[in-house]
Amino acid sequence: MDVDSGLGLMAACYGAGALSSLLLARLSGRLALGVGHLAAFAGAVAGLGIALGVLLGAPGRTLTQPLPILFPFARLSLSVDGLSAYFLFVISLVAVAAALYGPAYLRAHSPDAGPARQAAQGFALNVFLGSMAFVCCADDALTFLFCWEGMTLASYVLVVSDDRDGENARAGLLYMVMAHGGTALLLVAFLILTERSGAFDFMALRAAARDLDPATRTTLFFLAFSGFAAKAGVVPLHVWLPRAHPAAPSHVSALMSGVMLKVAIYGILRFAFDLLAPVAGPLPFSWGWIVLFVGTISAVLGVLYALQQHDLKRLLAFHSVENIGIILIGVGLAMILWRQEGVGGALATVALTAALLHTVNHAAFKGLLFLGAGSVLCRTHVRNMEELGGLARRMPWTAGLFLLGAIAISALPPLNGFVSEWLTFQALLGSASRFHGPAGLVIVFAAAMLALTGGLAAACFVKAFGVTFLGRPRTSHAEHATEAPPSMIAAMVWLGAVCVALGVAPGYAMPLLDAPTATLLHGPVASAVVTARGPLVLSTALMPSGADATAISMTMVAALLLSLTAIAWILRRGLQPALHRAAPTWTCGMKPTSRFDYTATAFAKPLRLVFEALYHPRREVTRETAGTPYVLRRIHYAGEVVDLAETQVYHRVEREISALSQAIRARSTGRIYGYIGFVLGALFVALLLSELGR
Amino acid sequence: MSEEALHAVIDDLGALLLFTMILIVAAGQIYRAIYAVSAQSLLIALAAAVLATATGNTDLWVIAGVTLAVKAVALPWVLHWIVQRMDIRREIEPVIPIAATLALSVVIVVASFQLTTSLGPVRQAIAGNALPVGISLTLTGVLVMATRKTALTQMVGLFASENGIFFTAMAVTQGMPLIIEIGVILDVILAALVMTILVLRVRSTVDADVADLDRLRG
Repeated sequence: MDVDSGLGLMAACYGAGALSSLLLARLSGRLALGVGHLAAFAGAVAGLGIALGVLLGAPGRTLTQPLPILFPFARLSLSVDGLSAYFLFVISLVAVAAALYGPAYLRAHSPDAGPARQAAQGFALNVFLGSMAFVCCADDALTFLFCWEGMTLASYVLVVSDDRDGENARAGLLYMVMAHGGTALLLVAFLILTERSGAFDFMALRAAARDLDPATRTTLFFLAFSGFAAKAGVVPLHVWLPRAHPAAPSHVSALMSGVMLKVAIYGILRFAFDLLAPVAGPLPFSWGWIVLFVGTISAVLGVLYALQQHDLKRLLAFHSVENIGIILIGVGLAMILWRQEGVGGALATVALTAALLHTVNHAAFKGLLFLGAGSVLCRTHVRNMEELGGLARRMPWTAGLFLLGAIAISALPPLNGFVSEWLTFQALLGSASRFHGPAGLVIVFAAAMLALTGGLAAACFVKAFGVTFLGRPRTSHAEHATEAPPSMIAAMVWLGAVCVALGVAPGYAMPLLDAPTATLLHGPVASAVVTARGPLVLSTALMPSGADATAISMTMVAALLLSLTAIAWILRRGLQPALHRAAPTWTCGMKPTSRFDYTATAFAKPLRLVFEALYHPRREVTRETAGTPYVLRRIHYAGEVVDLAETQVYHRVEREISALSQAIRARSTGRIYGYIGFVLGALFVALLLSELGR
Repeated sequence: MSEEALHAVIDDLGALLLFTMILIVAAGQIYRAIYAVSAQSLLIALAAAVLATATGNTDLWVIAGVTLAVKAVALPWVLHWIVQRMDIRREIEPVIPIAATLALSVVIVVASFQLTTSLGPVRQAIAGNALPVGISLTLTGVLVMATRKTALTQMVGLFASENGIFFTAMAVTQGMPLIIEIGVILDVILAALVMTILVLRVRSTVDADVADLDRLRG
């Protein structure tokens, strides 16, 4: 199979999947779901093929494919260069797992779903995957925006498809509003560029961007960045994310969190380093620093809010905010360092490599975690951790794989999260020594925050895993849970294997990053810098003299950890000659119940106290006594923390808007001809003004 | 056909279009307004055909045919059918007196010609006085919508306004891409469909005209 015809094949797979879901639903909803997901699987495999073909092919290879001419004023085409291929790779990697996982999950989670709903789910999944893939391959503004919109609409359908309750509909509406606000900003940015170029293809836009004055260039960048940030869930534009992601079916949550946010990262990279980049010299000063700052804030706030969530999927969604922040730290740093005099291209390459590597890593472990949460959800129908517990015995595979994902996201060796966060640290520390004064302080601050983020993430996942899987079941839902079906386990194993492979032997994955780093930076490529001393050793080769201080071999770390574990296990077996018996935990003579276990609220309490200023926690304790205050019947505790962005920004805006619309409503007549009269007046005034302005 | 003859023909057609527009504004009975808008669409089709012969753009023939079929025949027939179905004999209900509406439309036409004189370079490129005629048709159509209470007469105004847009687009660009023209026509068909359903449904369920919907204001 030739790579060149791959794009057509991928489009055909997704298109056939979408159509057959609709057509087959008349016969059987189950069949429609199965065929739809099968086609999505085929499309994802085709996507992997194209991506690997371009990434591992000849350097600088670009796949282009003109599209049929729909509009006489625009030439439409697709183009897969190194950056596109890399994001296509990330999308397809998770899409394979989601397509494998989907049918069994949807059957187990909502067995009474009608064929119409199943058809809609199969259709929207294919459209969603197809548009995500083609956003990354678009080579003109129209295709880009068209696919971008398709991605939003299809994921909206999936978000509201899960359950028919008001909560989902509200989450979907909020998502729709935020996403379209972002799209509007993108549209403005694109239109300003196309107006200058007179054409829609990226080649013309690049040429038009060459003679922009600095102010316009920076305005355009921040327009596009805000638009993409709304989609990526950057603080304070993240409020839709923790609502919409948990509402979707779990494999779609995995796609939205793991992949869709990355498409926004792709957009930021494409705009900053490609479309809007000046011909020579570094990027404008403000770009990189603001991206770095916003990323740092997102990383810290994301994990802090995640800590206080007791809904498993909501917690994971907040972690996506955190990880997008970590990726943006790398991206911002690369933007600061790119073409900087005297700093050298190697450091920018390290920063970009860290960001891109974290992109694929986050896609893999967040996908894995969402699929694990989905397995729990479809067997217990409960998302609140306080009602779970003790699932490790009942769902051993799910528990093991969730633990793997939790270790990876907590950035612990020897898994993949550690590698990319280590690289981000290297880039931060390497550049901290090169910038002096306030700039150096900001970088040190970012490094400190990144360290805090890693620690808090570990605490958060100790809570998530411990409360959900360990201890005793707290409700009968958890008590009667059984292991998930094999196809769902297989999907998780696939993503788990990616996590392990990228964690233990990241050096072998570096060639995949060569093409995107070369496309964007035109400097030294990833593998030349990071694996300068062979694929088994990661080194950043930054310090002229003491390069050895910053080298690490993940393979050796993994071997060390493995052998230490083995030694500990052997010693334990050797020292305890079979003189033990299993007994219940000693609880001072009382009979142990699930009430004795740590709850999620209790576990997060110390951090809630430390970060009180950020959380504004609200607690409500009601005591029910029997006559005297000394005999307590029951205590009821309710508490919640607020999202600062939500209360400080969004609620205020909401109040203003509703006050305004009340005022308008009080004055409106409701007469149609009156409104048409307003239109006529406005048209006339516009004509007069255009005449006067001449 | 020579350039000057073309301009003369387009100008004549523009004058006729303005005349039909005045008929629509002045119509005291709804049937007259419907016939006038049908005649106006016929003239638009004719203009498309003239431009097609002059420029050799075959797409314009298609547009002329579609305009004739949809806007000169089908849509007026639908309007006619609704009027009969709803059995309305009453006069159209103007918001302001018809004479005042006529005066306003005179203002609009004069202003359109006055405003577009400064568009020198654009007018060089286009056929005759098509631009001011098109703009005044569009604005007068909206004026008809704004000064009538019943939904049916507002539909007539919408079609007239849309004719103006069509005429402007056609004459200024000497034939827009087919896909856009077809899109515009689909737009009108859709609007007619929605309004027809709305008018008939509102009447059959609550026995009120669409204009009475302002009572629903919260």
